[in-house]
Amino acid sequence: MRRFVGESARRVEDPRILTGRGRYVDDVRLTGMLHATFLRSAYPHARVGGIDVEAARQLPGVVAVFTGAEIAPVTKPIQIGTNVPGFTCPEFWPLATDRVRFVGDPVAIVVAENRYVAEDACDLIDVEYEPLDPVVSFETAQDPGLPPLFEDVGENVIYRVENSYGDVDSVFASAHTVIRETFHQSRQANVPMETRGAVADYNPASRELTFHASTQNTHGWRFQLANYLDQPLERVRVLCGDVGGGFGLKLALSREDLTLAAASRIIGRPIKWIEDRNEHLLASGHAREERMEVEAAVSADGLLVGLRARMLLDQGAYPSIPTASAIYLHVIRDLLPGPYRMQALAFEGACVVTNKASMVAYRGPWEIETWVRERLIDLIARELDLDRIDVRRRNLVDGAPEDRSITGSGLDGISSRQCLDLALEKIGYAQLVRDKAAARETGRLLGIGIATYIEFAPGWREWRSQFSEAASARIEPNGHLVVYTGQGPTGQGHETTLAQIAADALGVPLDHVRVVHGDTSITPLNLAGTGGSRAGTWASGSVMMATKRVREKALAVASAMLEIDAADLDIVDGMVTPRGVPSEPTPLAQVANTAYLAQRTLPADVDPHLAATETFTAEGISGSGWSGGTHVCLVEVDLETGGVRILRYLVAEDAGQIINPAIVDGQIRGGVAQGIAGVLYERAAYDADGQFLAGTFMDYLLPTASEIPFIEIVHYEGPPPGEGVEFRGVGEGGAIVAPAVVTSAIEDALGHLGVRVTEQYLPPGRILELAGVVAVGG
Amino acid sequence: MTFESVRLEVNGVVYERVVEPRRTLCDFIREDLELTGTHIGCEHGVCGSCTVLLEGEPVRSCLLFAVQVPGASITTIEGLTGPGGALGPLQQAMWDNHGFQCGFCTPGFLTTITALLREGDVSEETLREELSGNLCRCTGYQSIIQGVLDAARASGPDTETSR
Repeated sequence: MRRFVGESARRVEDPRILTGRGRYVDDVRLTGMLHATFLRSAYPHARVGGIDVEAARQLPGVVAVFTGAEIAPVTKPIQIGTNVPGFTCPEFWPLATDRVRFVGDPVAIVVAENRYVAEDACDLIDVEYEPLDPVVSFETAQDPGLPPLFEDVGENVIYRVENSYGDVDSVFASAHTVIRETFHQSRQANVPMETRGAVADYNPASRELTFHASTQNTHGWRFQLANYLDQPLERVRVLCGDVGGGFGLKLALSREDLTLAAASRIIGRPIKWIEDRNEHLLASGHAREERMEVEAAVSADGLLVGLRARMLLDQGAYPSIPTASAIYLHVIRDLLPGPYRMQALAFEGACVVTNKASMVAYRGPWEIETWVRERLIDLIARELDLDRIDVRRRNLVDGAPEDRSITGSGLDGISSRQCLDLALEKIGYAQLVRDKAAARETGRLLGIGIATYIEFAPGWREWRSQFSEAASARIEPNGHLVVYTGQGPTGQGHETTLAQIAADALGVPLDHVRVVHGDTSITPLNLAGTGGSRAGTWASGSVMMATKRVREKALAVASAMLEIDAADLDIVDGMVTPRGVPSEPTPLAQVANTAYLAQRTLPADVDPHLAATETFTAEGISGSGWSGGTHVCLVEVDLETGGVRILRYLVAEDAGQIINPAIVDGQIRGGVAQGIAGVLYERAAYDADGQFLAGTFMDYLLPTASEIPFIEIVHYEGPPPGEGVEFRGVGEGGAIVAPAVVTSAIEDALGHLGVRVTEQYLPPGRILELAGVVAVGG
Repeated sequence: MTFESVRLEVNGVVYERVVEPRRTLCDFIREDLELTGTHIGCEHGVCGSCTVLLEGEPVRSCLLFAVQVPGASITTIEGLTGPGGALGPLQQAMWDNHGFQCGFCTPGFLTTITALLREGDVSEETLREELSGNLCRCTGYQSIIQGVLDAARASGPDTETSR
């Protein structure tokens, strides 16, 4: 019975968050705890000569200073990427040893009694650098004349992939038109409000490492820490309390985390490291710096019949741990056709290394597939003088059971077409078109943007065998339920949504359920953590399965107690109730109490242990299992200032069955805000020499309440959900599609000037350049 | 290294600590007073997470040294909470409206909004302007605005709302 699922239940997390009683990693304070800071390279690319740390070591209050050469012997070299054949992974170390490879590369760690002293000591370290030519752009990265960042790899192109689907040549040979374009994205950053940080606590007597983290992935980090520190797995425990946002960043264990753990092991005391915002912007990682060249084979009526795509991905200096950037090329390749019927695709992709911060996962790391595809559809419409909505309608699949992407993914249940219609209806598209024309009469430049997408979350079904998702459930002797998950929430409200699912699955009040996460010693093993909206479908599914299992066990006990067949018993509101017969209900507490404390009264074949762990199998997911939708917006471009104002923004989303509408809408709005920001405000900029230019919040501009518009949301309601797992991931969608919507609107506003938007980052100065108001580069 | 004694009142409790002159007010509150509800988001005065009320006015505690405010009366997020952890009206409205997600920016928003609600003018437009000194990365701000409007309505007839 579904009583709580579908309700905007108030969040379990909020009372502590709203009163200042959350526990974030910087709130951890351990006996004997020391504080660390990192000395970072000011050079993008240099050989490291001598490092003189003596003055720093002599400073009162400093406990230790370690260089890369001193940390390396207590760790293994970092070597990732074995999960992608052909990905050439260099070997590297927690701290830079002989070479620094980006501005912000950690060179030494200072451990002191407090952070003030640690920072003073950093200033006293003298490093001899011998600058090398920096590799900064796609062009220089592909130049074989420049030295490789990693000598063991031998070149700066570290991965290439090439695949073809359908008969590409013949599709192109018979095309009415071939359209060519190149699309560019800029560097962005995740920028959670809480920076990275950790407390590493190695106990030399028990030889145990307890790592207090700010992470999306406790179990994954435990594996990585154990591996690189060569520490027995059972002697590594990762704990995580509240996390102040991650958006993909906190999936990756950082080199700083490893260094911190190594330093704690050497010193034998707990050490806290809390990154400051400048370090965060400089060194925590960036994303989205990609370029794609496309050739589209198009029919006379605007069908996109074939596509050749060549893309480059800039992964920065070091591979992030443990996900190779190469995997994103695979995802982008597979999703590039989106919800469109395409007969052929040829895809070439390459990852390059550059002297910039490492690429990390950022809210839909495959986002370029949507942006390029939707830009391309607008472009086809313009080239053929067709309506861009008609072009979309002609190309979209219906989401029928047999619908399948040319790259193989099943598209059963994908409701892009329905969401397109819904979005246009709800925003009043015809009126918008009239408003735009009327505004033009008065000299105002309005533009309508539109884009449709699939939210590839939580990945392919096959991934379940690679990253299993389990949950445990246990009925306590008081009849309440505790659910254990390996998820690593960072604000998504899992303690609430998983409790809603479990409360319904067992038949108890919502406040009888407690969700436990963030402790690898008690939560089920889970190598993926929270990312790619896994919680929406997989964690929910596993919680549902485990809870149903303990419900069966409780009913078996109740059946023995009451001498009623278990099939004739139900649990409603925490009471075991015979079905259809008026009779006194038995509190679940009494059943649980009997199971645990009066086992001797039960038959020997009844299992009194009311606990279960179940692994999600993807059974019960109908169709593709993916969400998706269409977004529409109306913007006004001001050619006096170059500013873009968003007047309307509407989301039509198919999220399947919604667990908690307020939480789902919050995820969507937050994602849209980040997508808008990527177009109008945010850029993690480097100059041509590899110097970082966005080290403060005055250079890296996060949008404020004044910039983000009211975002209207309408949910597409498909066929009524069954009893299966019909919840869909919604974490990435907004961030994936919003750049496509906003750039589409800007191009529409400037269409009469012949402007073609082929780059994603459009700050006021660039808008004025594109519109011809100011000279390019002027 | 010189040290100075600082005596001030936080959430109605008088504290006295001996600190370095360079100790920021936010570190003083978090480390010396162990009131960790105040969060540090940027340490350069932009994000607003560390905002506390100094004599009722919102200030960035990362931009002040503790020794600059001797004798001051300060309110942090902990001070907005009633006895036994009871939510104040603003906190309740934020709970009802799913105001926040990760909770890291929350202390700065709640202190800033508390001061704002005392001034009384809370149309959506002025709110968006007034709150533009606080960054939130999770919500897109709409749920926060909604929560403030709700709190303003709940706080009584002397507060006008424009929509």
